[in-house]
Amino acid sequence: MTTPGRCVRCALTSGFPGLTFDDEGVCSFCRDEILVVSEQSAIDAAREQIRSLFKTRAGPYDAVLCNSGGKDSCYTLKLAVEKYGLRVLSFTLDQGFMSPTAVENIHVVVDALGVDHITVRPSAKFFRKVMRTTALLPIYQEQVMRRISAGCNGCISMVNTTALRIALEKGVNVILAGFTLGQIPANGIVYRNHFRFLQAARKDSLDKLRDAIGPEVDDYYGIDAALLDRVKEYPFNVNLLCLETVTEDQIRAEVGKLGWRSPTDVDGCSSNCRVNTLNNFIHQKRYGFNPYELELSHLVRKQLMTREEAISKIEDQPRGELRSMARQLGFSEQDCQELGIPE
Amino acid sequence: MDPTALRVRASLIQFVVRSFNVGEDEINLDESLIQQGIIDSFGLVELTVFIEKDLGVQVREEDMTLEAFGSVNKMARFVAARLESST
Repeated sequence: MTTPGRCVRCALTSGFPGLTFDDEGVCSFCRDEILVVSEQSAIDAAREQIRSLFKTRAGPYDAVLCNSGGKDSCYTLKLAVEKYGLRVLSFTLDQGFMSPTAVENIHVVVDALGVDHITVRPSAKFFRKVMRTTALLPIYQEQVMRRISAGCNGCISMVNTTALRIALEKGVNVILAGFTLGQIPANGIVYRNHFRFLQAARKDSLDKLRDAIGPEVDDYYGIDAALLDRVKEYPFNVNLLCLETVTEDQIRAEVGKLGWRSPTDVDGCSSNCRVNTLNNFIHQKRYGFNPYELELSHLVRKQLMTREEAISKIEDQPRGELRSMARQLGFSEQDCQELGIPE
Repeated sequence: MDPTALRVRASLIQFVVRSFNVGEDEINLDESLIQQGIIDSFGLVELTVFIEKDLGVQVREEDMTLEAFGSVNKMARFVAARLESST
């Protein structure tokens, strides 16, 4: 499959910031010109760090796991429990737009693995304001938008903050998530979540969000100063899936053994969220590339997915539901027109 | 800037250029990389890990300040000071 402006080896397109192509149509990522830290050495270092991190056991839980009900987070939960023997508290932020099958998958998988689970459901009114605001206004830095859509970033940031709050309240030293390499850089597999330090870097985007929505932004994206003042050491964020060499089919097969089923009401790039297609559409319109290109292209380069599979997933975006989803999220007719959301 | 800090700065610049896909001449060495829109909060994580793993300087909780990380030059001086104090 050859698409003008798409790398002949991966799924990246010419709209991706800073990408160049050689005469044969191979992009600079595939030519290895945009080399970050040596990936293998970063993985080896992370593996070593995790080994020592998981030795320490204190309190009722070893880790809080962000569980979206998608295949990756459910597989990460399986790894945490079965491979690493961790006592996990599974946590879901249910924003009201999860596939019903994903919600069932969470229950089935946590029950199969015998772990405790909690769900936090933010105010629907607030969540819709976040989705609308991030769609209409340039809230986040363009650097962030290379890996994720604005809507997804608004949601994931809420998940991450909530997970950290839970970990701090319960004295848990590790926060697990199901990110893969491509979604995060190799030297971000394990890192200490120094909230105050990192929050300073988020100040501009939070200021913009607060200006647009109101002070309740701090209730969802902030953590009480009193709680932070009590912190002696911040927890580590750990992305176990980055240490595995595993294909998507193998992940589906493994979580399938626990009773996990593929939702049919989501697009090719998600296995849990019904808002994803709209977020991708808005991102593509604004930036000229799909937010999953980077992640899926990485899997192609790692030979964990074929280029055709990656492109097929990117193109599996059912557009018939876009306007309906936008209306459910509180977008006005004028918003839809401004964003070019089709009927 | 002393020779150690200059060497550290060169490593930091190389890392920033390659990791965040910017030209060397686009980086203002005295301004925050965040303010310049070159990195986000996760970029800050990447830089911290780079300093620890590749430059061999442990970043402690109390080091994580905008004073130490507020620009490439500030980071270079911070890392160089740590390297020199450990020799």
